[in-house]
Amino acid sequence: MSNSEPAIVVDKLCKHYGALRAVDDISFTVKSGEVFAFLGPNGAGKSTTAEVIETIRVPTSGTVTVLGMDVRKHKAEVVRRIGVLPQNFSSFDRITVRETLQYYARVFGSRADIDALMDLTDLRDKSAARFNTLSGGLKQRLGIAVALISDPEIIFLDEPTTGLDPHARRQVWEVLKGLKGRGKTVFLTTHYMEEAELLADTVAIISNGRIVAIDSPSRLTEGDAEHMRLTLKSIDAAAVELIRNLGFCPIPNGDDNICVPVKTPDDVRRILEEIQRRGLELGGLDVRKPNLEEVFLKLTAEPTSAGAEDRAA
Amino acid sequence: MTFRIIVANLSVRLKSFYRERSAMFFTFAFPVILVLVFGTIFTKPEHLNFDLPVQDNSRSEASARLLEALATGDAFTITPVPVAVDATQYAKEHRLNLLLVIPKDFQALQRQRVVGPNAGVPVPLKYVYDPSSTAVDTKIRLLDTIVAAANQKATGSPPAIKLVAVSILPERYRFIEFFVPGIIAMAIMTSCLSNALNMNAELRQKGILRKLATTPITRADWLASSIVYQLILSVISTAAILLVSLFVFDVRLHIGIWLPLILVVEVIAFVGIGMLLTPFAKEAESASAVANAFLFPMMFLSGTFFPVEMMPGFLQAFAKLLPLYYINEALRAAMIFADDAATLRSFGVTAAFAAVVFVAGTFRTRWDEGT
Repeated sequence: MSNSEPAIVVDKLCKHYGALRAVDDISFTVKSGEVFAFLGPNGAGKSTTAEVIETIRVPTSGTVTVLGMDVRKHKAEVVRRIGVLPQNFSSFDRITVRETLQYYARVFGSRADIDALMDLTDLRDKSAARFNTLSGGLKQRLGIAVALISDPEIIFLDEPTTGLDPHARRQVWEVLKGLKGRGKTVFLTTHYMEEAELLADTVAIISNGRIVAIDSPSRLTEGDAEHMRLTLKSIDAAAVELIRNLGFCPIPNGDDNICVPVKTPDDVRRILEEIQRRGLELGGLDVRKPNLEEVFLKLTAEPTSAGAEDRAA
Repeated sequence: MTFRIIVANLSVRLKSFYRERSAMFFTFAFPVILVLVFGTIFTKPEHLNFDLPVQDNSRSEASARLLEALATGDAFTITPVPVAVDATQYAKEHRLNLLLVIPKDFQALQRQRVVGPNAGVPVPLKYVYDPSSTAVDTKIRLLDTIVAAANQKATGSPPAIKLVAVSILPERYRFIEFFVPGIIAMAIMTSCLSNALNMNAELRQKGILRKLATTPITRADWLASSIVYQLILSVISTAAILLVSLFVFDVRLHIGIWLPLILVVEVIAFVGIGMLLTPFAKEAESASAVANAFLFPMMFLSGTFFPVEMMPGFLQAFAKLLPLYYINEALRAAMIFADDAATLRSFGVTAAFAAVVFVAGTFRTRWDEGT
């Protein structure tokens, strides 16, 4: 990550649709050169936020600065310096892959090397295929190539792999990892934890129009350390009582397994030493940190299932 | 406005259009087919000739004179109906829309009309007709004319008033000459309005507009591209209609500076209307419905297929509120009558309308906030 000026600064952004607060007073900064993942369930306000930054939507209040420019005052200039893959990217049905790229190159007045872009997104064999004949994964890859046509400083990818099969998703990820290697700033919205964990330097979790957590994927999962779990396999039933006496809350977990929520590696050491001292049988063990998915589910858990309606009311 | 962007948009639109055969058909072939069909129906008969079934109950010298008068002039071919049958019944059974009945005492009554106690009483001549038939009015009118001429002749004095016809056209004016400019105007209107609405609905529905909103394309670029694109289609379509009319029906119209000027103004007017209607046509399905709701009344009430003078007064008044009426008037004034002053009047109204609609449409069109 570079120390230069931030790529995106969002300050107290609100976007309301009538009574619905789609985006409710959020602030964050995206550093230049990082992959910033905006993670949230459907309808949380991810795409709305992205579209305000992309200049498509006008905020209700708050300011958004992209590359030092206010998006409302310098829309034309911002548009020239960003590349956008909108959600469900689509293009003209009867226009081929190459023609689509030529079209956007002309629109941006860019001298982009179209063959190189097709190579980067692995679309070379499909250059003469019309858009309506492409599969979902190919369409998304074309969308990414189009987003890169003006050699933008910031690339916005709005749910780039939603609706793709696992194979196509992995192919898109390969392309995105390539972008990261080129030092581009990437603003990624997604509802896949795996995607955020794999690609992002910073993850912001948004729920009900508000940011509930923002940090690196590793720090986000560490911060939730009390959810670290020690699983002991094929262990004597007597061990349950023993571990309870040490001040933990063991939970029988089927067969001869027990599961113990712990906080620190030292807790794990204490339990294992005690088992060894008593000479109890131990078939195996597993210590697992919570993944981003668990953090996410915990942070975005709705108090009621009708949370969105409550907000709209 | 950026020339480079307009060229890029045009290239994509023309390629898409060329690769979509059904759009090609409806834009170019459909108006040509209309010219061929209507031209054939209304141009072929050089003069009208109808069958006229006559039940001659008189069989006298007087009835023979009447029949002779009816048969001259090629208007009617007389077919005899048996005397014994009931005329009304006969007409029903044989699906005749007009049957003339000459009464038995036709000759005697004619004599009595001149001399005797009944002098001055007209001789009745009955016809049985089917009011539901569309062709019968013309036949009755012809019959009236011939009977009136016979009446006049019977008085023995020359007619008091005689109509003298002077055509305002140097050449013979046929229906097809009237029809072709109307079809040109209709084809351009249909193409502009439905293309504008369908294209917009498609782009919006698929989310292409959202992508375009993140490019340097401005509203002015987009509108300029639409207008140039529609102009290209209009020129091709107009050329096809004119060439087919020329080669098939020998239609020779005046083609001068007015035709391209009217085309440009018409394209701007209907692209403008298309922009105004866009908010009501967000999906492809509603786009066609909205387009048709506008196109059909305009087509039938603006004098495309028949002169506005044939309609009742209130519809004529309504027609004069429709932009297509003035485009039809302008095209006909320019192409048939070569009347610059009349063309300019209708053109002026069209141009003013186009300017208002276009400016209003420009303000309504936005593709950001794509909801």
